[in-house]
Amino acid sequence: MTVMQRVVKPKNPRAKRALVKREPKIIENTKQCLFLHGKKTGEFMRKCIKDIYALKRQDSKLLQSQDQLLPFEDILPVERLAHEHDASLFAYASHSKKRPNNLILGRMFNHHILDLIELGVDNYLGLEDFKNKKITVGNKPCMVFCGTQFEDLVDYKNLKNILIDFFRGVEATDVRLQGFEHALLFTATDDTIYMRSYKILLKKSGTRIPRVELEEIGPCMDLKIRRTKFASDDLKKKACRQPKHLKIGKKKNQSRDVFGTKLGRIHMTKQDLGQLQTRKMKALKKSSAKAKATNNEASTSTAEPMEVSQE
Amino acid sequence: MTVSSASRPSLVSHVADVNNTNMAATEDQLARLSKVKDIITKASQELKSIEVNREIDLEFDVGNLLVTDKNTLDEEAVYDPDTRPAYLQSLARDGIQALMSKVWDLPSHTEDNAVFVTLPKTTTVLPREKPVPKEKALTKWEQFARDKGLTKKKKDKKVWDHILKRWVPRFGMKKVQADKEKNWVKEVPGNVDPYEDMFAKEKELKRERVAKNEYQRLRNIAKSRKLKVPNVGVTGNDLATSKDLGVAMHHSRFATASKGKFQPTLPNEQVPKGLGKKRKHEQITGDGRAEKKRYMEVLKKVEKNELNLSTAVHKQIREENIEADLAKKGGKKQLRRSKAGGRHRTRSDHRASKLGKGIHESRKQKI
Repeated sequence: MTVMQRVVKPKNPRAKRALVKREPKIIENTKQCLFLHGKKTGEFMRKCIKDIYALKRQDSKLLQSQDQLLPFEDILPVERLAHEHDASLFAYASHSKKRPNNLILGRMFNHHILDLIELGVDNYLGLEDFKNKKITVGNKPCMVFCGTQFEDLVDYKNLKNILIDFFRGVEATDVRLQGFEHALLFTATDDTIYMRSYKILLKKSGTRIPRVELEEIGPCMDLKIRRTKFASDDLKKKACRQPKHLKIGKKKNQSRDVFGTKLGRIHMTKQDLGQLQTRKMKALKKSSAKAKATNNEASTSTAEPMEVSQE
Repeated sequence: MTVSSASRPSLVSHVADVNNTNMAATEDQLARLSKVKDIITKASQELKSIEVNREIDLEFDVGNLLVTDKNTLDEEAVYDPDTRPAYLQSLARDGIQALMSKVWDLPSHTEDNAVFVTLPKTTTVLPREKPVPKEKALTKWEQFARDKGLTKKKKDKKVWDHILKRWVPRFGMKKVQADKEKNWVKEVPGNVDPYEDMFAKEKELKRERVAKNEYQRLRNIAKSRKLKVPNVGVTGNDLATSKDLGVAMHHSRFATASKGKFQPTLPNEQVPKGLGKKRKHEQITGDGRAEKKRYMEVLKKVEKNELNLSTAVHKQIREENIEADLAKKGGKKQLRRSKAGGRHRTRSDHRASKLGKGIHESRKQKI
């Protein structure tokens, strides 16, 4: 339902703009992310979530502590928050005895939950633990995924998809060559996923392509998959459906020759060669006299039935 | 970014000469030699630096700046926390280096002293945020405009007003103010009632127009949502189907005292048949058993001497009530003075009025 289809019209252009921003579009807005934490998270997880927020500064909001949320049990409060802030990604940090240093990543489709994954954070080193100059805010990161698990195991595959969605930022078309500053590495082993974050330094090499050197800036953490709740196949399919406008169909039956002229192909029905109009030869025509003669023969013969073939 | 390659070979050849000639070199010369060697090895390393060789080729999604490395990891290097940072960094470095080679090969353009590269479309399938928007149904006007081939003409925001001699906005608050300025007086034409408030009339018309517009907007919304909206008797019939028009015409004919029987038709008007309530007439011919039955029932009712107890009781109660009322009001015939303002009503009149039949004709007050 577009803004124009609302029974109660927006009262001023500002309200209208806000509504237009939130409605479904063919080319969508950048996914907004919400960073949440419960009341009893502890300093460790709060630092962790603040650092990830710092990485993803541009399209995200860090909210103040919420009443205890349990996304795996009751997702409705999270959905409501996401709807209010028009966010389709969220990260929720919590800490309890049963699930220490818990980080839940989730994404939404149409303001309803699509995927949820719970990760445990170990060996955490924050941004302040790396004493060096950091990168500019809102930089689009280059992501590297290492390890065969990201291809083989379903959980890891989905996690890879979620991480790409989370960290990719704006869908950029033109990028400045000097603008590659941030690199994220995710390495998967049997039980953990190592997340590392680097600053890209482009050095001179013999050729026009520069040599890449990396410097770790943090945060750095080891993640363990705890619980997952992925979308069903048909919901996933529905969510991944792209509008027809974006699909580029192949143009068939058109080609260009060497000179640049446009050539087309037309497919015709099969010709009935019996009905071809050829030159009329009067001599070859079966004359009316001949036809009468054959008819007379047929009528005079009495007993025998005679086949008279029509021509 | 490029370093002139001409300088490199000359440096190498110079060092080779030095090596061959001086066999018994002094200490500082040795030191210098080693230093130079270091520089050369470093330089030669840098020359090969942009190559990335892996067993399984890396996969790229350049649109997302994504590199996927499917090679098996050196498990020991990863698990040992001492070697882990260096090993992971090397993995990352290789991946990013390969990505940069891809990126630098993309078509570029320069703007504002910066070189920009156009990234290709992303290949990773990521779910959308919201569903694909449904195609909007065309409104009645848009359909008409498309059929007729009308194009949208760009209108200026301001219009020159030669009465006020200034530029006035086409719509909005300032336009209304300007109109007020212009129309401080209104001419009353000859065919209009002189006591009619022309300004109020104008306001009323404006209100009607606004209401009509709002109605049409809602109707467009209802149409797009496939809801039914009554068409007859609301505003004009510009949207009606022939059936709806027929119904409207029927209503306008039928809503007279004689149920449209004596309503004159317009030229070329066809009175729609089949509208209104249908009365089923019984058969004249055929067996009259049903008819006979009906009439016998009526006769029975008329002739019967049965006492319907409840009706008799109610009748009695009613009569008593009327008597009581009359007694209260002093309802005996007061020909001269009556509390009911000249109209004197008898017992029968009261009874009649209670039964809902009104006062007898002869007793009605005539103006």
